Amino acid sequence: MKRRRSLFLDFDRLKLLAKKFALVILFLIALLLMLLNKNQKNVIDNITTSGTGVVASVVDVLVFPAKVFSVVYDFIYEIGTVRKRNIKLEQENNELKLLRDKYEALEIENKLLTELLNFATLPNVNYISAKVVAEESDAFAQAMVAYVGKADVKKGDVVLSDKGVVGRVDTVKSSYAKIITLADINSKIPVMIEKNRIRGILSGNNTPFPELTFIPLDAKINVGDKIVTSGVSGVFPAGLPVGQVLSVAKNEIKVKPFALLEKLEYIKIVKYGIDGLINIDEEVSDE
Amino acid sequence: MSDNFDEKVITHFQRLLPLVTSIVFLLLAYVPINFGFFYNVRPDFGLMCIYFWMLHRPDLIGIGTIVVMGMISIAISSSVIGASLIAYLVMYVFMYNFQKFFNAKPFVVIWYGFMALSLVSILIKWLVVSVYYNMFLPLSILMLGYLIGIVVYPLIAIVLAFVQNRFIQDDGL
Repeated sequence: MKRRRSLFLDFDRLKLLAKKFALVILFLIALLLMLLNKNQKNVIDNITTSGTGVVASVVDVLVFPAKVFSVVYDFIYEIGTVRKRNIKLEQENNELKLLRDKYEALEIENKLLTELLNFATLPNVNYISAKVVAEESDAFAQAMVAYVGKADVKKGDVVLSDKGVVGRVDTVKSSYAKIITLADINSKIPVMIEKNRIRGILSGNNTPFPELTFIPLDAKINVGDKIVTSGVSGVFPAGLPVGQVLSVAKNEIKVKPFALLEKLEYIKIVKYGIDGLINIDEEVSDE
Repeated sequence: MSDNFDEKVITHFQRLLPLVTSIVFLLLAYVPINFGFFYNVRPDFGLMCIYFWMLHRPDLIGIGTIVVMGMISIAISSSVIGASLIAYLVMYVFMYNFQKFFNAKPFVVIWYGFMALSLVSILIKWLVVSVYYNMFLPLSILMLGYLIGIVVYPLIAIVLAFVQNRFIQDDGL
């Protein structure tokens, strides 16, 4: 067997040594990455999210056959139900027309009263819809990747579905954004019980049902109570529907989110113009 | 000259197949599905691929493959950075040492082997992430995902065995 030898180094021996310690080094690198993620999240974000775009594109391609099947199935199913739905929609339309008239009257009344009170209104709301291209839902994370980039959204923007709060934007790159849902362990949303305005924090726990925490001990909470955002901390505006109380036990109150996290194809990312704590974080990291 | 070049390209392609199939299966776990209950219990396809290839073609799956898989997980996952890499490395180390034991054994034994080794791998990952968050992650969801992984493994093994038998030739390698 030939041995490559340079003037000072025995390459074969070095190679063998590197192979021997490669596993140990890799374990250490993995642990180091975890530590960095805990203390220097911005550094890790910059490294990892550049790869997200490429990987999410591949997932998008992988999902294509399933999507085609789903579209064909929906098309066939819809043909059978279209007449029934039309009748139902006409009824709904009539009801909505009545509601619209009521709404217009209330809006005028609200405007007059707001002017009378000199009440500061919420800033203008802009939103963008985005396609979900990858999702992660297991014991380790509850998140998704959406096809929307830096130009349209920023870290901390609120993510909604047609039914309620989904979560918030965690990291953004040029064309993709990672979103953590309200079920994720990193998600902490200030909420309140709608009927009695008791405030608390909705903490994700990587299960489908996040927990209501930091609730006063004497608070009266019942199964079915509606939970909305409280607006505290300024990340989420007040009054967004979040979910309803699923169970009340001695030490834990579980909440069922209104948003059907398992059936999200498209999401709405909303810019409320309330920057809250997020901008403070970013400013600190920029420095 | 041209034939020689073609052979070289084909050989390289064959050598890359374990990595390619592992990446495809790894990404499959992130495909949006509307299966209700199954939404929350996704098996770790990456572990299955490492187990299969380390068992059948350890010469084609090196530490580089594990690193690439770990990096892809880091890129797409919102979980703790490096946690998946640790799980993959654990499986790799196990299979590096036990490969000879499982070699040429009936499928049932191989299946039991996957049950045991994947359990240890995901429990180590669970422990590491729990320490990171300073709280225990939901074990029930983890175990459901693990059980589904056990059930799904034979199907994945069939697909990977097909790839191995159809596209990877011993002669060229």
